[in-house]
Amino acid sequence: MKATAAPLDATLTVDASHRAASRSTAGPQRRKPLTWKKRSTPWAYMAPAMFVLLLMTVAPAIFIFYSAFRNDKILGGVGKFVGLDNFITVVTNASVQHAFLITFGFVAVAVILEMILGFALALPLAAQTRANKVGAALMLLPFAVTPAVAAMVFKQLLNPNYGWVGYYLGVFGFPKGIDLLGDPTSAWIVLVILDMWQWTPFVALILMAGLQSLPGEPREAAMVDGATPWQMFRHITFPAMVPFIAIAAVLRTIQAFKTFDSFKILTGGGPGESTEIINLGIFRVGLQSFNVGLACALGVVFLIILSLLIPFMLRIIGRRADPEEM
Amino acid sequence: MTTTSSISRGRAVARVIIGRTFLWAWLLVGLVPLLFMFITSIKPAGIANQIPPAWFFQPTLDNYASVLSAGGGKSESFGQLLTNSAVVSLGATALAIIVGVPAAYALTMRDFRARKGLSSWILSTYMFPPIVAVIPVFVFAGKLGLMDSYPALIIPYAAFNLPIVVWILRSSILQLPYEIQEAAMVDGASTWEVLRRIIWPLLVPSVATAAVLTIVLSWNEFLFALSLTRSGAKTAPVGLQQFTGMYGTDWGNITAAATLIVAPILVLMVVLRRQMVAGLTFGAVK
Repeated sequence: MKATAAPLDATLTVDASHRAASRSTAGPQRRKPLTWKKRSTPWAYMAPAMFVLLLMTVAPAIFIFYSAFRNDKILGGVGKFVGLDNFITVVTNASVQHAFLITFGFVAVAVILEMILGFALALPLAAQTRANKVGAALMLLPFAVTPAVAAMVFKQLLNPNYGWVGYYLGVFGFPKGIDLLGDPTSAWIVLVILDMWQWTPFVALILMAGLQSLPGEPREAAMVDGATPWQMFRHITFPAMVPFIAIAAVLRTIQAFKTFDSFKILTGGGPGESTEIINLGIFRVGLQSFNVGLACALGVVFLIILSLLIPFMLRIIGRRADPEEM
Repeated sequence: MTTTSSISRGRAVARVIIGRTFLWAWLLVGLVPLLFMFITSIKPAGIANQIPPAWFFQPTLDNYASVLSAGGGKSESFGQLLTNSAVVSLGATALAIIVGVPAAYALTMRDFRARKGLSSWILSTYMFPPIVAVIPVFVFAGKLGLMDSYPALIIPYAAFNLPIVVWILRSSILQLPYEIQEAAMVDGASTWEVLRRIIWPLLVPSVATAAVLTIVLSWNEFLFALSLTRSGAKTAPVGLQQFTGMYGTDWGNITAAATLIVAPILVLMVVLRRQMVAGLTFGAVK
């Protein structure tokens, strides 16, 4: 337990020695040849799950790689091979570049703000008091709300004519009937606030669990040595929290790249194309304009970009969830 | 000496107060959207979207009754949409558990050389963006005549939750003492008997956690439900978006429907708070 609470690289070295040890003891006994039945049993148990996963990840991936080189339309019959035409559109089209750019911007801004605020919330929440039990339960509420419902409720709150936000802003001297979703800048601020409202609690709860698992001795020793609170945070708490920060950051980054509901419902990509992130773009091109080929080319590029996150996912989540096995 | 320590103690107290103030301010402001949703849902007709907002009124359940009643020119009642959501969520959960338990067990078998590679592969599918899957699934479902049917949602939802289900169950099995399995094997039990009689009974709490997570995430899903259903299998979150057209801008009805969607999820999540966070981090945070 103490080893897992240590900084990331320390954890990994501990794991490595662990694995080496377990292999050297377990290895020789397990070298006897396996019968065909013994070999096939685990595959039989794996088969149904693998079938479902292949059907919903690998098969679609093959489909989009194939369709990306064709000009099929869902309603227009069978198309033909068009080579790299779709990819040329992806690379040269200004609104595609804009969509990718704002997607990265949104993910970066939302995740960074959520990490900072999540840490600021986790620090007071980690103290094990009775009030904090209530606090942690309240903390969870926004994160449990169905995203499509949350977006709908935000939309009502922001309604220029009847919304609470507009009315109470008016009471405090802002212009009456303000339409926050009608202007690109304020629409972006609203979308980021909605994401923060919903997901900062997730970060805070991960970091809270991390803080609660830290051993007390190093802090006590530092306190005896007369360390200032900032020194203790900088040299003891923060380094020990790095694995938890990494977990929250990786998961939030992946989830943020999948964001669809809030954009679709709150702005639909507008005003203009100012909030049309790549998820909305693929949806519009593929399922509203039925241009399957172009949508698949966009999907291929998006999938490749997201695949770059896999090593982080495996290293940070996989190893930590299961230090002895991975 | 006493002065410096009292100054630093004063600073420490100030820091704690600032931290707690921020925490509780966040929690209270965070409740506003939920409060708005609930309060508006129990307002009598006519004052739901009154400005300035009415804070004193006779609470009523009329909006809930109106939302749940069928007919009245609506294509489907909201009750039907909730039923669809429940069928799809429970179906996806059943499928994910049925295929997930044996898979998780296989991934702990010591003779299974591919287990590490397969575990990594399953974990990495969590990264797969649903938007990339939705177009092929749309085309496949259309070809197979499954458009607007329950399986068109059940299978994708099960697949997208399988990484979480398999990883939760796998690490739970690894935490069971291996000697129990070994003893049963020595007594001549087959792997199936070990899974059925020994692992399964001990695994029930983890299965419950994995099942609740799958229910919640399937219930909340929007993209596939929006793309693959029209009327027959339409789920509640999608139906809610069409309320503005269906009921004009009857905020009472919309917020009542929203509350009905969110309430069961809120209860499940708050009850299983610790397990939820552990599950959603694949067991990386316990």
